Amino acid sequence: MTWNAIAPLAVLASSLLTGLVIFFLAEQRHGLRTALNLGGAVVKLAIVVAMLWGVWHGESYELRFALLAGVDFVLRSDSLAMLFVTLSALLWLCTTLYAVGYLEGSPHRSRFFGFFSLCVASTVGIALAGNLITFVFFYEMLTLTTYPLVVHRGTEKALRAGNVYLAYTLGGGTLLLAGTAWLYGLLGTVDFAYGGVVAPIVASHPGALLAIFALLVAGLGVKAGLVPLHTWLPIAMVAPAPVSALLHAVAVVKAGAFGIVRVLYDVYGIETAADLGLLGPLAIIAAVTILYGSLRALTQVELKRRLAYSTVSQVSYIVLGACVFGPLGTIGGTVHLVHQGIMKITLFFCAGNLAETLGVHRVDELDGAGRRMPWTMGAFTLAALGMIGLPPLAGFVTKWYLGVGAATAGMHWVIAVLMASSVLNAAYFLPLIYATWFKTRRGPWREQMGGREQTRFETDWRLLFPPLVTAAFALGAGALAAAPFSPLSWATLFAAREYLR
Amino acid sequence: MTLEIPWLLLGMKLGLDATTRIFFAFTLLLWLLAAVFAAGYLAADPRKRRFWVFFAASFIGNLGLVLARDAASFYLFFALMTFAAYGLVVHAGDAAARRAGRIYIVLAVLGEAFLLGGLLIAAAGADGLELERLRAAVATSPSRDLIVALLVAGFGVKAGLLGLHVWLPLAHPVAPAPASAVLSGAMIKAGLLGWIQFLPLGEVTLPGWGAALAAAGIAAIFYAAAVGVMQDDAKTVLAYSSVSQMGFMTVALGAALADPANAAAAIAAATFYALHHGLAKGALFLGAGIKPQLRERLLFAALVAPALVIAGLPFTSGAAAKHALKAALGEWHSLGLLLSFGAIGTTLLMARFLVLAVRESGKQQKDESKTPLRLMLSAWLACVAASLAAAALAPTAASYDDLWPFLAGIALAALGAWHAAPWRRWRIPPGDLLVPAFALTRALARPLQSSVATLEHQGRRAFPAAHQRWHALAARWGQLAAAGESRLGPAASLLIVALIALLALY
Repeated sequence: MTWNAIAPLAVLASSLLTGLVIFFLAEQRHGLRTALNLGGAVVKLAIVVAMLWGVWHGESYELRFALLAGVDFVLRSDSLAMLFVTLSALLWLCTTLYAVGYLEGSPHRSRFFGFFSLCVASTVGIALAGNLITFVFFYEMLTLTTYPLVVHRGTEKALRAGNVYLAYTLGGGTLLLAGTAWLYGLLGTVDFAYGGVVAPIVASHPGALLAIFALLVAGLGVKAGLVPLHTWLPIAMVAPAPVSALLHAVAVVKAGAFGIVRVLYDVYGIETAADLGLLGPLAIIAAVTILYGSLRALTQVELKRRLAYSTVSQVSYIVLGACVFGPLGTIGGTVHLVHQGIMKITLFFCAGNLAETLGVHRVDELDGAGRRMPWTMGAFTLAALGMIGLPPLAGFVTKWYLGVGAATAGMHWVIAVLMASSVLNAAYFLPLIYATWFKTRRGPWREQMGGREQTRFETDWRLLFPPLVTAAFALGAGALAAAPFSPLSWATLFAAREYLR
Repeated sequence: MTLEIPWLLLGMKLGLDATTRIFFAFTLLLWLLAAVFAAGYLAADPRKRRFWVFFAASFIGNLGLVLARDAASFYLFFALMTFAAYGLVVHAGDAAARRAGRIYIVLAVLGEAFLLGGLLIAAAGADGLELERLRAAVATSPSRDLIVALLVAGFGVKAGLLGLHVWLPLAHPVAPAPASAVLSGAMIKAGLLGWIQFLPLGEVTLPGWGAALAAAGIAAIFYAAAVGVMQDDAKTVLAYSSVSQMGFMTVALGAALADPANAAAAIAAATFYALHHGLAKGALFLGAGIKPQLRERLLFAALVAPALVIAGLPFTSGAAAKHALKAALGEWHSLGLLLSFGAIGTTLLMARFLVLAVRESGKQQKDESKTPLRLMLSAWLACVAASLAAAALAPTAASYDDLWPFLAGIALAALGAWHAAPWRRWRIPPGDLLVPAFALTRALARPLQSSVATLEHQGRRAFPAAHQRWHALAARWGQLAAAGESRLGPAASLLIVALIALLALY
C-alpha cells in the first residue's frame, strides 16, 4: 500500500486505536491516559496537515477494498472531506485538553475518554467516507459511541436524556439505512462523485428518487436538528461541557449537516436536485429551523439550553446554503461547517468554564462575570458577536456568501431570513454580553475551585486555553478569509469542483 | 491612491477621493480634539479605562469607514463604530444612560440588518466589492427600489432620518461631553457618507426616492426644531438641532437622486455642510461640557460663537453652507425658500440652547483641578477656532440674502422669552415619537408574546396521546441500552476489533 492509501486509514486509526487502548487502562493511570489522548490528537493533526498540503497541490488520497461483492469500503480525501477532517482534528485536540481539565478527579474517566476517542474516529470516518455505505457505517457508529458520553454522569436526568437521544438517532439511522439500501438497489453503486451519481435513473425513477431523498434527509435531519426533529438536542444538554461542545460543533449535529451536503451534491448532484424540485422544500425547512431555533433561544434562561437552540438555528445555515443554487450559496453553506464549529465550541467551552469555576448555569447569573473571568468572557463575546454575523468574525463571511448567493439565485426571501436571524441572534446574545461587561455582581461568586488564589489563571489553564485558541480561530477565519488555506478558500475549492466540472 | 490588503477580510481596499478627503479631515480633527478634551474630562472617572477602549474602537471604526473603498470593509468599520459607540452612550451607568443605550442598540441592530440586506442584494449584481462597482450595480439592479429602501433605512438610523431619529436625542446627551461631540459631530455623518457612497447618485434618475428623501429632510428640519425648543436640557436641544441639521443634508441627497446632472454639486454641498456642522456641533457639545458662566466673558463668547455659526451668521461657515446647499438644489431651487424658513428654526434652537446653558452653568459647582481643565479648555477653544476658520473653505461666498432667517429667528426667540406666553409650559419628552410607539407596541405585543411562548406547549397539548406513547417508546429503547451500558465500553471495543479483523480478511 502506498502513502496515499495509508494516510486516510492513519487518520482514522490515530483516534480509533487510542480509544481501544484507553478502555483497558486502569482508572488511576492518569498520566498515561492523558499522554495517549494528546499524542493521538497531535499525530492526527500532523497527518491531516500533511494531507491538506497534498490535496491543495492536486494529490488525492484513497483507500478502497471490497466489503462484500459489489459493496466497497471507501475512504477518500476530496476538498469537502478535508474541510471536515481538519475541523475535527483541530477541535479534537482542543477538546481533549479541555476534557482532561474538566473531568479532573471525577470517576469513570477511562470509559469517558475511550468513547470520546471512538466518537472522533467515527466523525473522521464520516468525513472521509467515499460512498454512502461507508458513511452509514460510521454514522451509526457515531450514534453508539456518543450515547455513553451523553449519559456519562449517570444521573436520572442524564439517563432519560440518553433514552431520548437514542430513540431519535437510532430512528434516524434506520431511515438513512433504508434510503441507502433502496438507492443501492436501483443504482448498483452509491459512490460519492462531484456532480452526483443518480443522473442515469432520473428519467426512469423520479418518484423513487424523491422518496429516497425524503428518507435520507429525514435520517440525517435528526442529527442536524432540523425542525421538527430537533427536540433531542436541548435535552441532551445534560452531558458534560466538553461533550456538548464536541456534539454541537463537530460530531453529531455537524455529521447530519455534512451528510445532507454530501447527499445533495455528491449523490444527487445539485443540478439534478434542482430539476427534481428538491431544493425549494428543503430550503424552507432550513429557514423555518433557523427562525424557530432563534425564537426558542430567546426564552431560555439556562445558558447551555440557549446555546443548544442557537445550534439548532445555526446549523441550518449549512443546509440553507446547500439549497441555494449557485457557487456562492454553496460556499456559504460549506464554509459554515467550519465557522459554526469554531464559534459554537468556543461558546460551550466558556459556558463550561463558568459552570466549573463560578457555578454559573443561568443567563441571569452572568452579571459582572467579565470582571472575574475577562479572558473567558472575552472569548465568549468574540464568538457570540461572530454568531450574530459581525465582521471581521467568521459568521460574517458565512452570511455574506449565503446572502449574495441567494440574491444571485433570485431567492430574496433568504435575505429576509438572514436579516431576521441576525436580529434574533443579537437579541439573545447581546443581553448576555451586556450583563457580563456592564453589570456588577451582587455578593461573592460561588467559587468551585477555591478561588483565584488556587489557580494561576482565572480558571484551570486546561479550561482556559482551548476557548482562547478557538476564539482566535473564529477571528482568523473571518479576518483572513481571503488568505490562502482559510476555510473560505477550501469551500471555494469545493464549489469550483462541483460547478466547473 | 489606494492601499490594497488582499488577504484581509474579503480583500480590503482603503483610500481617499475628493469627497472622503473632506470627511477624513474633519472626522480626524474632531476625534483628536475630543480625545484631548476627554483626557481632562475623565481624569477623575474610575471607569475611564473602559471609556478609552470604546472611544478608541469607535474612532477606528469612524475613520476606517471613511477610508474604506470596498463594501465589506465599509460594513466592518461601520459595525465596529456602531457597537463600540454603545459603550460611550451607557458610560454614565445610570437609569437614563441605560434606557438610552437600550433604545440605541435596538435601532442600531435593526439598522445593521437593513444595511446588510441592502449590501447583499447590491453585491450580488456587482462583479467586485469596490464601492464604484457596487454603486453601478445598484443603478442597474432589477431590485433597485428594494436596495435603495434598505440602504436609506439602514444608514438612516445613523443619520437620524425622521422616524429613525428617536435614539438620538436620548443617546447624545447622556454620553460624556467628548463622546457627545463625536457622536453628534462625526459619527452621525457616517450615515450621510453611507448614502453618498452606496446610493446610485448621478448614475440614474430616481425622482420618487429623491422626493421622498427631500420630504423626510424638510419634515425633520421643522419637526426637530419644534420639538427641540420644548426641551429642558441643553444637550438634548443640541441633539435635536443635529436631527434638524441632518435634515438639510438629506434634502441635498434627495436633490442628487432626483437629478443626476446636479448630483456632483449636491454631494459637494452636503459634504461641506457636514464639515461645517461637524466642527460647530463638536465645539458646542464640548462647550456644554465646560459650562462657562455668563460673567466669564471670553469663555462665554466662545460658547456663543459656534452657536452663531450654526445659526448662519453672515461670513461664517453656517451661512456659506446653507447658501451652497440652496444653490445646489438644481431643478428644486424653489425649495430654497422653505430651507430659509427652516433656518429660522435653527436660530431658535441655538437661542434655546444658550438660555439653558446659562441656567445650567449657574447650578453647577466647579471643582476640577487645574491641569484637566486646561486640557479641556485648549481642546474646546481649538475646536471653536476650527469651526470659525471653516468659512474659508466654503465653495461659494455667502451674501446678505441669507441674513433674514437669522434675524427672524432672533426676533422669534425674543418673543418666546415673553413671560406670560402659554407656550413656555409646552413640553414634549425627549425621544418624542417613542411615547406613542411604546404605547402601541405594548398593546400589540401582549397577545403576540403569549402565543409565541406557548407554541410548543400547545403543540404538545394537541397530541398528548401521541407524545406520551412516543416517550414511552423512547424510554423502553433507552432502558434496553442502559442495561448493558456499564459493560458497553470493553464490549464495544471488542466488537470493533472483531470488525477490523473481519475487514482485514478481505
